[in-house]
Amino acid sequence: MAKVILTGSICQHVGGLGAVAVSGSTAREVITTLEASYPGLRGWVVDEQGALRRHVKLFRGGEAVSLDAQLAPGDELHIVAAISGG
Amino acid sequence: MTELLVGTKKGLVVLRGPRGGALEIATRSFPGEVVEYAIRDARSGRYFASVTHGQFGPHLYYADDPAGAWQQAEGPAFPSGAGAAVERIWVVEPGVADDELWCGVAPAALFHSKDGGKSWSLVQSLWDVPERAKWNPGAGGLCLHSICPWPGDPRRLAIGISAGGVWLTEDGGKSWRRSVGGLVPRYLPEEARADTHMHCVHNMKRAPREPSTIYLQFHGGVYRSDDAGESWTDIGSGRGLPSDFGFPLAIDPHDPNRAFVIPLAADADRVTPDGKVRVYETRDRGSSWQALDKGLPQSQAYLTVLRQAFCNDAGKPLGLYFGAQSGEVFGSVDSGKTWSTLATHLPPVTSVRAA
Repeated sequence: MAKVILTGSICQHVGGLGAVAVSGSTAREVITTLEASYPGLRGWVVDEQGALRRHVKLFRGGEAVSLDAQLAPGDELHIVAAISGG
Repeated sequence: MTELLVGTKKGLVVLRGPRGGALEIATRSFPGEVVEYAIRDARSGRYFASVTHGQFGPHLYYADDPAGAWQQAEGPAFPSGAGAAVERIWVVEPGVADDELWCGVAPAALFHSKDGGKSWSLVQSLWDVPERAKWNPGAGGLCLHSICPWPGDPRRLAIGISAGGVWLTEDGGKSWRRSVGGLVPRYLPEEARADTHMHCVHNMKRAPREPSTIYLQFHGGVYRSDDAGESWTDIGSGRGLPSDFGFPLAIDPHDPNRAFVIPLAADADRVTPDGKVRVYETRDRGSSWQALDKGLPQSQAYLTVLRQAFCNDAGKPLGLYFGAQSGEVFGSVDSGKTWSTLATHLPPVTSVRAA
């Protein structure tokens, strides 16, 4: 299982949890599984066509990755919303 | 009692107070989020709010009490294979059949709910019209923003798309036909107008007492249809309006001869003309227009009033309300004869609807 780390307002859609253990071998599979467990998350991280929201980033460890990134058991997948400022 | 749902760039503000008296902020929901549109379905008493979360996209919510818990609706969302994702939820409109509502989004598409707005499905027939490939986004994106049910007949609907024209159905949305006869897209070269599908409808409202009458604010011109949208007549040129450009449109639900617009200076200068905030009224189906400005700022006032930020209520005399990008909300409870400032210092106002 991978460990999904969520921050900010999307935690409300996974019962307020900041970290959830989820099965799946890719980031896409992990997010799909997470959405199945927490339907309120649908449409927030990826849109209805399965594309990652433009202002959401995924990190495996310290590396920015795509939805197709492979995840090994124990990997941490961070779902991070972009911040803005200047 | 007056209750106004004011969508802003930083949350939903609910203003309440005695009709004609001072209104106060009764509650503020979705703080920090862009609330594009909010409405109360008078049949069920249910509130709806369209919220565009900066990072997480558009979502529709409903609640029985705007100060209580909001539930996220199932959709609107395109089905897999549609090749599109909802970018913005522009409008929610109660339908005619029990528990029926309609919803317009960008990219231009219509969604339908049969369960009081809890879940939504794409109106595939409109999405599949071949002409959709020829629609063109305006400055606000390619959006379906106006939905006009026919009181008493759930089969008939007119919708407005920017820029995709007016579309009509008489079979509850199973089939659609475009109806733009009489609309003149003066923003296009003359030789390109005949064949274009880029009819930039800015707003459209049906007169409920006489459903064959529809008013339309175009991107350049105000129009009226007397035949349920089959054809359109220019009612904006040379009849007293300071500009042919604008977005806001309201009607008198008790009088099909009466409509209201708030002109903006021009497409390249989207502010109230001449530094004066004026609502314009017609009482004769658009033959003439008169300014209603008593109580509104008449000097150095360059306000922007967005498409969904002007509404009427069902009162007699009529209540009219609008909000500006500069954070003011104005209202009248005597059909526009006199106006008062109902709120100031709000975030930029995106929509105003009387509950």
